[in-house]
Amino acid sequence: MISPNSTHTPNPYLPSKAVLRTIFEMAEDNYLFQFTVDPSTIGRCLPGQFLEVWIPGVGECPISVCSDSMDGLIELCVHKTGRVTDALFKMKEGDWLGLRGPYGTGYPVDKMEGRNVILVAGGLGIAPIRALLQFILHRRERFGDLIVAYGMRHSLDLLFRHEMTALYSRTDMHLFIGAEEVNVPEIPPIHAQLGRVTDMLRMAQYDDSYIAAVCGPPVMYPFVIKELKARNVAEENIFLSLERHMKCAIGKCGHCFVGGVYTCKTGPVFPLTDLRFIPEVVECVNC
Amino acid sequence: MEKSFVLSKGDFPKFLERLKGFGTVYAPVKVSDQSFAYKPVEYEQDIAFESLRTILPPKKFLYPQRETLFSYDEAGNITEPETNQPLVIFGSHPCDLSGMKVLDTIFTAPPGDSLYIERRRHILVVGMSCLPDKYCFCESMGTDSVQDGYDIFLTDIEDHYFVEIATPKGAEVFRDNDFLIVASEPYKQAFKDFWHNRKELFSNRFETSNLPALLDLEQDNPVWEELGQKCLSCGNCTFVCPTCYCFDIVEIANFNGSGQREREWDSCQFHGFGKVAGNNNFRPGPIDRLKFWYRHKLHGFQDAYEFPTCVGCGRCTVSCPSEIDDIVGVVVRLEGRTDRKSIYAKEDAL
Repeated sequence: MISPNSTHTPNPYLPSKAVLRTIFEMAEDNYLFQFTVDPSTIGRCLPGQFLEVWIPGVGECPISVCSDSMDGLIELCVHKTGRVTDALFKMKEGDWLGLRGPYGTGYPVDKMEGRNVILVAGGLGIAPIRALLQFILHRRERFGDLIVAYGMRHSLDLLFRHEMTALYSRTDMHLFIGAEEVNVPEIPPIHAQLGRVTDMLRMAQYDDSYIAAVCGPPVMYPFVIKELKARNVAEENIFLSLERHMKCAIGKCGHCFVGGVYTCKTGPVFPLTDLRFIPEVVECVNC
Repeated sequence: MEKSFVLSKGDFPKFLERLKGFGTVYAPVKVSDQSFAYKPVEYEQDIAFESLRTILPPKKFLYPQRETLFSYDEAGNITEPETNQPLVIFGSHPCDLSGMKVLDTIFTAPPGDSLYIERRRHILVVGMSCLPDKYCFCESMGTDSVQDGYDIFLTDIEDHYFVEIATPKGAEVFRDNDFLIVASEPYKQAFKDFWHNRKELFSNRFETSNLPALLDLEQDNPVWEELGQKCLSCGNCTFVCPTCYCFDIVEIANFNGSGQREREWDSCQFHGFGKVAGNNNFRPGPIDRLKFWYRHKLHGFQDAYEFPTCVGCGRCTVSCPSEIDDIVGVVVRLEGRTDRKSIYAKEDAL
């Protein structure tokens, strides 16, 4: 029962203002938006968590945070695909919009500390993986060996091109970038292999000592899981991010309910062992 | 409460006056030959005491079909919705009281939904006993009697109501009254007899102890395809359900740049419910959606909150235009038993 004297509950649906600081075009229909926020309203975002982005007069949609926490700054990598993102792409630097969050359970960074890590991204799945990659690189000494496998349909779809180019020169990690179609020449030129993300995984050297963080389209998951398992990566060490349309993001509206869990609260990142028991997801993780 | 009480039916108008002192009283009112709905009532004769299930459950008061989450002006200044007027929900049966408890669990789970919590604080709930018809299966779901979730509960014992007071708010209604009588032994016996005899009246029943396992085992049973083929995806079953709580959040924008964020009831039976960016749909067909709903009612919620969300009120069964929401019948079929006739079968059919 709700007691008549219980303390006041704040309205969980209120957004707080964020100002669009810079817009950077990364690929066709894929922009990087950098926002300044009040750190007292939008707290620290962990890799894999998401925000609800509200554009007044248009609507709200969930977007993964793609940067490691910086004081008062948040980056979102957005693909133009619907009403809210269309409106976002029409905004200018200096415009404001509403953000609420961060929400959800991200990648298990505590569990990853001291371990070898392999990050696997397909297409726009690079967004939360880039947040995790930044998190690790900002604290590089706390993690073991690091591999990144990043696949996409076309090399023109490559996101964070400048950063990826710079990462190739690092000696403390291995980066494999693959595209099903490669266009040359590109500026700046980047060493992309012809092939899928699974082909990148086959090139990499890793074993059962690795913990894997995966994000990409659902069709990618069974193939990636098969590759990881072929190298004896344990199911409890494979973490996947699920995509659902979180409307409330606080476990009420039911849109992201799968099996017995709300993706917005228990997820969006789940260990493979937990997904085994969720119908609808089983088909995409069973292999 | 230490004492139990009775209220003479002759004194009911006095009790109703007391309730009106708390706020507007909503009670079941006959709205057509066969249907009842919660409406504001002034007098005893407005109330349809015979009502078993109203078209919509009392969730419409706790969680209105449409409500404003916040408003904003042209400059983006946000205004929160105003507080609520007190109201009384009168005559809710045990299934509906259980339904309200399910909604309480969902909306108060952290982070609490402030709009729901505030509204709930302003509501006084008066429960009322009932006798089952052929669609009721609350007895199987364990929701045929409730110990909490109401402020006052009335059990109909012939010319009296046996009165249970569960909260200080409920006790407040009876402060300094001259009509509540301390229950003597015959009334107590009548109360016990009522609830004992009522148990025997349920014809629609099934075994619920193993429901989650059954739904897991029968994920691919052909019954889902058969029912899904008939499903119109109309969402009736979800709107009339006392525990279906899913909502959509929509933008109501004005031309001058101001507007509201509103939420409205949504249904997992609608085509767009499982859609994500890029037009991908996790439950594109009615078969997937119907199975999802059954699972959510009987299994899925068990994982999240450790109880099923079906309260056995029979509203979905009654309101389904395709006659596929015979929950008891479907479970019996999943069990592989063929000894039960469909609840939709005409009794005098050849």
